[in-house]
Amino acid sequence: MTRWFEDITLNEAFDLGSHQFSVDEIIDFATEYDPQYFHIDPEAARHSHFGGLVASGWHTVCIGQRKMVDALSAEAERLRALGKEPGVAGPSPGVNAMTFKVPVRPGDTVTFSLTVTSKRRSNSIPGWGVLFNQIAAVNQHGETVYTAELISFSKLRDYTVPTRLRLLQGLAKVPFFGRALSRMT
Amino acid sequence: MQCRVDVKGSQMTNPVTATRRHYEDLAVGEIITLAKTKVDKQMVTGFARQFDPLPFHLDEAAAKASLLGGLAASGWQTGALSLRALVDSFLADIASAGGLGFSHLKWKNPVMVGDTIGGTITITNLRRSDSHQQWGIVTLDFDVRNQKIYRFSPCVWQIWSRCAPNDPLV
Repeated sequence: MTRWFEDITLNEAFDLGSHQFSVDEIIDFATEYDPQYFHIDPEAARHSHFGGLVASGWHTVCIGQRKMVDALSAEAERLRALGKEPGVAGPSPGVNAMTFKVPVRPGDTVTFSLTVTSKRRSNSIPGWGVLFNQIAAVNQHGETVYTAELISFSKLRDYTVPTRLRLLQGLAKVPFFGRALSRMT
Repeated sequence: MQCRVDVKGSQMTNPVTATRRHYEDLAVGEIITLAKTKVDKQMVTGFARQFDPLPFHLDEAAAKASLLGGLAASGWQTGALSLRALVDSFLADIASAGGLGFSHLKWKNPVMVGDTIGGTITITNLRRSDSHQQWGIVTLDFDVRNQKIYRFSPCVWQIWSRCAPNDPLV
């Protein structure tokens, strides 16, 4: 998120925008990453239970990620324009659960949203917090395409490195101690 | 599970998958070995530009300063490459009907530029669908690792698989 960990409000939906899936991009993505006949061959796809070409689930998820990155970058820009310093987001450690509900067909428009449902301080990485994000993707008929619980890291604003940790970080820069430390951890 | 499965259509023989392995041909414990993929810088930045344009997937200096400690592939790219390997070594040969979803996906360690990823997928559960008698649900455990073995991204997937056309219930 573009807010600091301390400022993130729970259960507030953040709109990530929409994406219309074209037949060409569905086939292009699947040809590279998920070349099953109902994702790449419109003719053969008619024999499948989908009755026609559908997007790879992983494709819709990757588009969801792109929409999230774009929306959060735009929000960071907006905050900078207001003279505020946006928060720092880190990489994601994983996804608890993702369910594909209805398939995405060529021409479908999917709207994505992000809601932080819970947050806590990281146990393993000092200075960072962990966010539990609910991602929802809904098509133009109001049907849910997929839902996901994505975990992400967010930097703490009000954090000072404890003296003991600062000492360890200093030691890690000394060649011999650094090697010994990295072996221990 | 809400999934748009056309029951009527699926009762007819599907010429595309007729000669493939069906649900009954699969066994719990079957291990699928994934082909190895080398991840280069062009792949990492190319995928990131398209789907995950975060500085630590695009720019070496920003990546060094981040939690990842160097240019690393988007976790979604690791997943996409694993999925491709699964299609090539398994899904293309079975009467698969798409995924229901996945759980417990953990990006334990980043996949760095120059890493080679591979691994195994194990069938850990098979059950007939309650709502769609002619379908079975296959649970797959992913164990994807790099060349040093200690990095991996485990994940549990569930996919639909068509039951054999000669099954009395179909």
